[in-house]
Amino acid sequence: MFLAFALITLLGALGMLLQKNIIVAGLFMVAAFFGIAGLFVLLANPVAAALQLIVYSGAIMVLVLFVIMMLSSHEEEAAEVGHPIQRWLSVLLALALAAGGVTLVLASKGVRQLAERGAAMPPAVTLQGVGAALFEGHVLGFEVAGLMLLAAMVGAVALTKRNL
Amino acid sequence: MDTLASLLHMSPAVAWMVVKIVIVFSAVMILASVWTWVERRGSAMIQDRIGPNRAAIFGRIRIIGLQQLLADGIKFFFKEDLAPTDANKALFWLAPFLAFVPALMGFAVIPFGRSFTSGGHVYHLSVLDPGNGMGMLYPLAIGGLAVYGVLVAAWSSNNKWAILGGMRSSAAMVSYEIGMSLSVVALFMTTGGYDPSEIIAAQGHLPWHWNVVPHFLGFIVFFTCMFAETNRLPFDFAEGESEIVAGFNTEYGSMKFSLLALAEYAHLMTASALIATLYFGGWQVPFVANPTVALSITSFVLKLVFFAWVFVWIRWTLPRFRYDQLMHLGWKVMLPLSMVNLVFHAWRMSQGH
Repeated sequence: MFLAFALITLLGALGMLLQKNIIVAGLFMVAAFFGIAGLFVLLANPVAAALQLIVYSGAIMVLVLFVIMMLSSHEEEAAEVGHPIQRWLSVLLALALAAGGVTLVLASKGVRQLAERGAAMPPAVTLQGVGAALFEGHVLGFEVAGLMLLAAMVGAVALTKRNL
Repeated sequence: MDTLASLLHMSPAVAWMVVKIVIVFSAVMILASVWTWVERRGSAMIQDRIGPNRAAIFGRIRIIGLQQLLADGIKFFFKEDLAPTDANKALFWLAPFLAFVPALMGFAVIPFGRSFTSGGHVYHLSVLDPGNGMGMLYPLAIGGLAVYGVLVAAWSSNNKWAILGGMRSSAAMVSYEIGMSLSVVALFMTTGGYDPSEIIAAQGHLPWHWNVVPHFLGFIVFFTCMFAETNRLPFDFAEGESEIVAGFNTEYGSMKFSLLALAEYAHLMTASALIATLYFGGWQVPFVANPTVALSITSFVLKLVFFAWVFVWIRWTLPRFRYDQLMHLGWKVMLPLSMVNLVFHAWRMSQGH
């Protein structure tokens, strides 16, 4: 199961990178999101899986594809001036990010516990658990995020609507 | 069940799972295909016509035209399978499946009868057992994926009417999903759980305790949003045959078109099942506290068929909205209504009800 979902995720991500057609690339990205949702289910976190599908595949990607369809060109445009250094820089940065992520995960408490106690399936995360954690441990972060989203929304309306 | 499982060299759990999947999916498929006929007969009844009643086996046996389904199916199979020259062939082929699979998958979490115990095993009558942690989030997630069928079909046909239909449908879908989710969140709050079986159990068997009474506003919002989600008239902006030819399925013919149409009806069945589960007590039988399993299944199927009929009824009663009216209704009416519903229930719970 893990292999299937991991393959879906990886192939989706690769397809998104290599595909010249923006719409097809977007659909590959949806496939990658679906694979990630499957991985969340395997990690006993069905809530995150559902939210992944609802928010990313169900709303954000639909809107992105909507905007792309609204624009006439569906093919990636070639750059007018090539900047090969950009490509190498981005590969380097991506590699650095990957290396940093892997070292962080390997050094984390969870992995050490896993090595000591072996892999036992944790109880599945429930929506009630997520809500309680948000409002007990992270009220400030939650409220700040809400405020920022509100500000972003007001800003978007103010930018697009000329005469309010 | 145990003897059957041992005969097939499977564990009882696996055998039961297979049986459930076969029952649920074949039932939804059959209902969906019957509904293509019900729609035409229903529209004929509403418009004072007769509708398809001539199809017959051997030219003799006609059961009020029900063989029309068979005739249609056979005809669709033998039609030439065309794809437009400039279409994106791979996606053009994929789109009907992308539409069809989520429409069927959404049903998996809905309990269609009460659980029962036999031979020491508890058998749950839903494909995914309760307590899977996904609960009602699952149909919402799958419903969000359903738009890709329309979107991919629209874009891959390389036809401007099709793209217009797909774009309108995706915009409508995203706007109505918010109101729908908020009305479902209010249900989670009053139930204290988000598993469909918990929601059904909390509603009890008395009709005035079903969620439709305390959550009447939420029900209105959810019901309206289901029309937008399933792309049914008065919100069928993906198709809009009087404006954009046939919308997203303009270029589709033969079995591919048939699959798209079936997907719409399968989606309709899932939507009616959701309405019945969330607001009308699911498999609960009115005034019967402990119904038998068969009675509970009958009750659920009756509710489902009733709401599926309401979908047909409304389609042939109301005219299509204009696009700006749709957006107006979605953002300025449905969203505030579901907010009011949510805040009202939060206030009521804070008062200790």
